[in-house]
Amino acid sequence: MIEKKSKLDFYPYFLLAPSLIFILVIVAWPLIETFRLSLTDARLGGESYVGFENYQELLEKKKFHRVITRTFFWMFLSVGLKILLGLAGATLLNAKVPGRALFRVLVMPPWVIPIAIGCIGWLWLYNSHFGLLSGIAQRIGLIDGPFGFLAYKKPAFYSAIVTDVWVGTPMVTIFFLAAMQGVSRDLYEAAWVDGAGRWHRFRRITIPQIMPVIVTMSLLSMIWTFNSFEIIWILTEGGPRGATTTLIVDTYKTAIGNWKFGEGAARAVIIVALLGIFSFFYYSLIKKLNKFEERK
Amino acid sequence: MDKYSKVELVLIYSGIAIFLTFILLPFFEMFMTSLRPLDHLFRAPYQFWSDDFSFEAYHKMWETVPLLGRYIWNSIYISSMVTLLTMILIIPAAYAFARLDFPLKNATLSMFLGVNMFTGAVLLIPLYRVLRTLGLLNTYWAMIIPGVAFLIPTGIWLLKPYFEKIPRELEEAAFVDGAGRLYMLGRIILPLSIPGLIVVGVAVFIGAYAQQFLFAITFNQTREYQPLPAGLYEFIGYQTVTWNEMMAAALVGVLPVMFVFLFLQKYLVAGLTAGAVKD
Amino acid sequence: MKSIKLALIGLLLVAGSSFSLRAADLHFIMCGGEVREADQTVVDAFIANNPGVNVNIEAVPWGTCQDKSLTLAAAGDPPSISYMGSRTLRQLANNDLIVPAKISSDLMEAYQPGILNTVTVKGTHWGYPRAFSTKALFINCDLAEQAGVACEAPTNWDELYDMAKAINDNTDAAGFGLVGKDFDNTMHQFLVWLYSNGGQVIDLQTGANMLDSQSTRETLALYEKLVGVAQEGPTAFERSQVKDLYNDGQVGMYVEGPWGRGVHNEGMNEIVVPIPAGPSGESGTLLITDSIAVFKGSGHEDIAHKLATALTSGESQYALDTPDGGWGLTPIFDYEKLGISDPYYKGDDYWAVFINGIGAGGPEPLVEDFKIMQSVFVNMIQGILLGDDTVDNLVSIAGEEFDELL
Repeated sequence: MIEKKSKLDFYPYFLLAPSLIFILVIVAWPLIETFRLSLTDARLGGESYVGFENYQELLEKKKFHRVITRTFFWMFLSVGLKILLGLAGATLLNAKVPGRALFRVLVMPPWVIPIAIGCIGWLWLYNSHFGLLSGIAQRIGLIDGPFGFLAYKKPAFYSAIVTDVWVGTPMVTIFFLAAMQGVSRDLYEAAWVDGAGRWHRFRRITIPQIMPVIVTMSLLSMIWTFNSFEIIWILTEGGPRGATTTLIVDTYKTAIGNWKFGEGAARAVIIVALLGIFSFFYYSLIKKLNKFEERK
Repeated sequence: MDKYSKVELVLIYSGIAIFLTFILLPFFEMFMTSLRPLDHLFRAPYQFWSDDFSFEAYHKMWETVPLLGRYIWNSIYISSMVTLLTMILIIPAAYAFARLDFPLKNATLSMFLGVNMFTGAVLLIPLYRVLRTLGLLNTYWAMIIPGVAFLIPTGIWLLKPYFEKIPRELEEAAFVDGAGRLYMLGRIILPLSIPGLIVVGVAVFIGAYAQQFLFAITFNQTREYQPLPAGLYEFIGYQTVTWNEMMAAALVGVLPVMFVFLFLQKYLVAGLTAGAVKD
Repeated sequence: MKSIKLALIGLLLVAGSSFSLRAADLHFIMCGGEVREADQTVVDAFIANNPGVNVNIEAVPWGTCQDKSLTLAAAGDPPSISYMGSRTLRQLANNDLIVPAKISSDLMEAYQPGILNTVTVKGTHWGYPRAFSTKALFINCDLAEQAGVACEAPTNWDELYDMAKAINDNTDAAGFGLVGKDFDNTMHQFLVWLYSNGGQVIDLQTGANMLDSQSTRETLALYEKLVGVAQEGPTAFERSQVKDLYNDGQVGMYVEGPWGRGVHNEGMNEIVVPIPAGPSGESGTLLITDSIAVFKGSGHEDIAHKLATALTSGESQYALDTPDGGWGLTPIFDYEKLGISDPYYKGDDYWAVFINGIGAGGPEPLVEDFKIMQSVFVNMIQGILLGDDTVDNLVSIAGEEFDELL
């Protein structure tokens, strides 16, 4: 065997060291500092210790509670759509039809370009007077006059969701596609021989076989979507009237917009805490489901 | 089993068409905008085509923002550096997690995963101070270092399965033959994991390209070092925004990445398959 | 020996004659993509007159220039002087990041009335006013005629509404271009109307919160009426987007600054009129300035003051204000008092509209948390634009929220 623990005490750490040091300096230290800042009233001019005051203020404000619920709603809706669209897209791209190589490449652009640029494109699409969506809707008679997608609270929220889904779907699609291509053909053939139709094969073979990927992509996607900042910021900056203000937008506005570093840090810590708790529950749930599956 | 009925073919192609329309719509709009002359940029009701479309914006943009070429180059440079640095750091780490057993293994692996949980946006101010202390503000490093840090966890996590797939027997045989550890890593493991390396490299590159914006606007004030997304701000003037040129610049800036991508896409999908992302 | 002695004496003389003995590297952050020639001229002359002094003008794009100065200051590396919106001055002053401006009494006399209020906190001037603008109402006469109304200045809010409604009903265009996006301009436009209705935000004498008042309610009620005759979805519009609509003939009238003439389409048949007076006041306008602020801790503040003064007085300032090679702004000085005869605005009706309102105009309120103040206003305005709440409630809430800022 290769691993003889007594001889290899330092070797693994030696391999890990560069990455670890990097992370510790660039991430862990700012994280600790963020936590420390959250206990102060740090602003542009200076700071002083205030204990848990920032947290108390936040947890008392109803507005903040709404920000939290809104963030979770945002996350679940957007990720749900991404997973569904990802599955649909992957299935379509997995089909052995002519042209599939081209189609697969065409799916990539939203993933490849800087998010900021894609969002500007959507900003234009959503423009009430000069945008394509409003224009076409008017032409085909769907609406009477121009419509401001980003001007009203609910439409702005859902428009932001659409853009967020657009940004995240390609990556999910490609990973699902790869996973699907890794499923052994024999399984399908056996089922086909037994007379199983496409839908049946999809439901009983494809999905279970790629389930690990679905689970992991879902979690990754949930974490990224929870913290999705640029999309909302470029489209609406959290408006109108806070309708698209998620936790990360609120944090940015507080820390960079209002230069209130202490209060911003408190929000950042809450984000980390919430995500940590959420991931923990998510994994426990998955473990329980797996055990259940195994027993079946 | 693989033959599709006519109906199924129609459904598949329509499905793909709808899917791709959704994906490519903003690019279509950006392209259209780049063709419109500035004073007709804003015209309602919406028109798909008009007589005064031209490629003029593609010429003028180089004058309006003189450093545009530099910005595009910066984007590529920064992403490449991030990718290079990240790969150097994660290859040994991923190998360690894939092959070796050591105390605190699970803890560190979870910790790396945990870093995914917050983006740079959350840590901006302290990160700013760290970079300032290290004297790295307003340099290329100001954008490269945070990029690397946030890509390391995903990179390790994506690369690990590829190392795990390599048969242990090969390593054991080499060990028996007296191969040193480094030799093993360099001569045996790496060549066998090339598909994985390419896949992860591309994913890291894309990730780096996508996240530069935030780090660039916060940690770098030197115009000459700015990557493209930040540079696009320069199309915003005192009272007006030259949208058509901005769109043209955005599209042109994205082209190099698309080319790299087109070139490597064969390996990408093949690599993803070989990697057995079922973990 | 003699020549060395002479050289030393010469050196002492030169040193004695200049204001400061120290060599200094000044960092001047200016907004805009490129360095203005006029600025460079002033800087070159300044360097020539102050040996040992070097000035690095950095032109930062409009989107990020203010933040850059603040970031540098927060990081302990402040610029020497910087072009900032005057609204930031109080926050900078309270956080001990800038030093008070030293404006000579001659210059103080020459400023247009109310200008210095925009840079004054509790009697101290914190910035050198650099760019000034007031607002007026632009009306598209073609649309007015199409709608069957005379293209002339509405004298009160009812006439304004009627005119907008006529355009809205009788043409394809919307009547009024309303801004509602979360931008400073949204708050500014509201203030323009508030100040034309006898309203105040902060009492200039006592510093008391005057936001919750009858005047404010009437102004918000005006917005409520205007929504019905405005373009679709005002909460997604900021001023430059409304300007685009106006240029495209989609909107009959909107509030704009003196650069309006320059950014409207050639051949636009329009008139510029003062903001009509509301039921409780007289026609006024909003006075906005940007200033040059001198940062603390650069190590050469006295030289920085000199440079700031050089930039913001006399010919240099005129070069910025004039539309001929400059920015085309409302004049910040009464230039004839400074000895410049026949300034660009003399005898021009266009400029008269922007200048006449200055006396009755009010400043942008100077509070420390100006971004939060903007949120308070935008929240109130968007509340009525979206029909979320009643005028009374919105104004009360805004009044309370504003209290926390004082």
